[in-house]
Amino acid sequence: MKIKQLTNEKLGETVFCAEHPSGLEIRVMPKKGYTSAYAVFGVKYGSIDTAVQNDAGEFETIPEGTAHFLEHKLFESEDLNAFERFAKTGASANAYTSFEKTAYLFKGSENIGESLEILLDFVQNPYFTQQTVEKEQGIIGQEIRMYQDLPDWQVMFNLLKALYASHPVRIDIAGTQESIAEIDADLLYRLYKNFYNPANMVLCVVGAIEPQEVFDIVDRCIKTADGKKIERKFEKESARPVRDYIEEKLSVACKQFLLGYKEDISEPLLSLEDELASQIMLEAIAGKSSPLFKKLLDEELIDLGFGTELFNGFGFSCVMMGGTSADPEKTASVLREEIKRMQKEGIDPAAFERAKRKIYGRMVMGYNDIDDTANLMMNLHFNGYEPFAELEACKNITLEKAQERLDALKENASALSVISPIE
Amino acid sequence: MPQVRILADQVRLVAVETDSFKTGRISVSAALPMDEKMAANSLLIYLLKRSCKEYPDFSLLNGKLDELYGASLSASITKIGESQVLSLSLTCLDDRFALTDESIAQQCAELLAGMVFSPNCKNGSFGADNLTAEKRLLIQRIEEELNDKRTYAFNKCIEYMCANEAFGKDKYGSIEEIQNVKMADVYAAWKNMLSTAVFQITVVGSAVDKVAEIFTKKFAKIERNPVKPETVFVQKGRHFNRYEETYPVNQGKLVIGFRAGMQSSRDNIHAMTVMNDIFGMGTYSKLFMNVREKLSLAYYCWSRLVASKGIVLVEGGIDTDKEKKVSAEILSQLSDLRNGKTDPEVLDSSKRSLKERYTFTTPEGICAWYASQVLEEEIITPENVIEGVEGVTMEQVCDAAKKLSIDTIFMLKAQEEAENED
Repeated sequence: MKIKQLTNEKLGETVFCAEHPSGLEIRVMPKKGYTSAYAVFGVKYGSIDTAVQNDAGEFETIPEGTAHFLEHKLFESEDLNAFERFAKTGASANAYTSFEKTAYLFKGSENIGESLEILLDFVQNPYFTQQTVEKEQGIIGQEIRMYQDLPDWQVMFNLLKALYASHPVRIDIAGTQESIAEIDADLLYRLYKNFYNPANMVLCVVGAIEPQEVFDIVDRCIKTADGKKIERKFEKESARPVRDYIEEKLSVACKQFLLGYKEDISEPLLSLEDELASQIMLEAIAGKSSPLFKKLLDEELIDLGFGTELFNGFGFSCVMMGGTSADPEKTASVLREEIKRMQKEGIDPAAFERAKRKIYGRMVMGYNDIDDTANLMMNLHFNGYEPFAELEACKNITLEKAQERLDALKENASALSVISPIE
Repeated sequence: MPQVRILADQVRLVAVETDSFKTGRISVSAALPMDEKMAANSLLIYLLKRSCKEYPDFSLLNGKLDELYGASLSASITKIGESQVLSLSLTCLDDRFALTDESIAQQCAELLAGMVFSPNCKNGSFGADNLTAEKRLLIQRIEEELNDKRTYAFNKCIEYMCANEAFGKDKYGSIEEIQNVKMADVYAAWKNMLSTAVFQITVVGSAVDKVAEIFTKKFAKIERNPVKPETVFVQKGRHFNRYEETYPVNQGKLVIGFRAGMQSSRDNIHAMTVMNDIFGMGTYSKLFMNVREKLSLAYYCWSRLVASKGIVLVEGGIDTDKEKKVSAEILSQLSDLRNGKTDPEVLDSSKRSLKERYTFTTPEGICAWYASQVLEEEIITPENVIEGVEGVTMEQVCDAAKKLSIDTIFMLKAQEEAENED
């Protein structure tokens, strides 16, 4: 393996990067003074992957929630399950599934090499039986029910359903009770074979470990495969939302809302500059130090939990802003008006500078955390960027660029999602 | 071992000096008794966080934080035993990463001290508008506890279980008490806090001497009459008490509260910690292995030890009609634990896993560990716990489990028709 070193002087950090002959990408950042290490083994397969190419090259629809189901099931094995194996090294292991990826991880301070071997081994060795699949349907069924009762979760997915007509970002990550009932062991094996090949995966390790040790373990443990990178199909969505208002009644005390602006994208992915410029722009116009935040707070339309975010991935990008409000419609109308006004009058340069400092500071702070750093490197890789690319991109964001991102918010592409109490 | 310095009567500085991190953290904790002043105390800490004399406006203060490279300021209110602990914390970028020659840490320490000692307060008033706004936000915060049914059920079980103890109160005080707080009460709460609270300033990072100096000077001007809050430890559970509430939700929440037979927050703590872990914390625990993995009854079912009050709570998200089955399984697992029906390997797994969990890897984690000891006479390190846990035997685990006695069950039931609703 050819190893490449990337150093960020200001940060004082170095990443060792390599590509294994199997196609697996590896990133290792050793950290001085740390006693623990965190490793994440990720596959580019998430809830938005709702179709799989068959041997004839045609896309075939698969049940919703398969990536998440596989994540649960990979911990199982014929002999000791992965949790039992990690119990012997002391590492705490976990996994998560998001819209675009599935990640398996552990954190530990002793026997790190051994834990890494277990991680690589269990993810490469699926074992499913009809009986264990049925058992998991019960557990995941409870997980789905739990999320259905969480207003924060529901307000977001309802917004996505209002904004997107067909993009699978609109479906729940775990699927539904009905969709997971369609999953069986054969299907899991087939999907596993398709998505879980090293060329479609990345391993990131951060903390108390020597890079060479990681590379040696990878050499020993990764089975060479003939798999290839999975290409996603980009289907352009309409610039307009499906509808501009969606409401659901839940057992909550106060109303919650999320206002979303769908972006009309022509390429599947935003550039890193666009992403950061949007984050800085949102902070400048609606962050805690902005006049808008103060106005909403003074008018008793929001509380301190009000927040904004850019929500983007393969084939989708939107801006979300929301929180708790006694009057979501009035709040949304103030937000829409203020955005229009600032598009005309321009972002305050001082607010832009403050916001840029804050975003930059928070990114540097993120490197404290071995968990955050490893996950960041994985995300950068899956989107085609080298480590530290985000810090450089942030420095180069100009006021004009931020203004351009603000101007991209179109009122006729916005939708409001509201959760209100059951009377 | 962290540095421990006494800055004034019952004002302690606990500092871990390190350059391992890119950020530093400073936390000021003030421990007060859980009495009729709780609501005023709660409003006070949020008013102190809102603005200060130097930055007398919410936007100005947040602007200053942004300038300090996005320093993040948080206020929190927690119950540690029967004490209401008010905290203000700042996380800031380490000086090494500043874009210009400036000490971020020192500016942050000064800002934090300014917020505690020089609030935005004129003639005994924090501003009527500010108080109204914070009352609204706090009441909303309490009402919103209902939104997360897991936490709601957990707190409800404690409320019923400790109905005759201070611990049964909401950490913020009641909504009614908050509504009735007057400006003079908040001002009195501020004066009272400075004079009587048990304080701890916890620092992780650099500039420790500077922080000590800043706070020593401030406290030198205060006449201190500290009052140390005391906690009642109830040894045994009452006879069976079950409460329920019904909501239109998809999943029911079961919470079982036990008394742990502890006499103080550190009584038998190592055996209790391991026992609780084997009962329902780790992936090797009895509840995970059986309630979840073997019987598929829940996605989560775990136990939590609240050592500062000597109680253990088991909670699970379940189907409402399975309550009896789940409770029976939880109690049967506890019985196995008491009777030594535990694989010896699980004890080793638990010790290894606890060792990992007490190996903190962030300034926030380290800071929280020490800040939670505000009321303890003696500061203990995570290494002390790891060592203590290491020596625990299976027999001690069984004995600790035998001390658990059931006190209260709270069941949040899902309304049946909710299942068919869209």
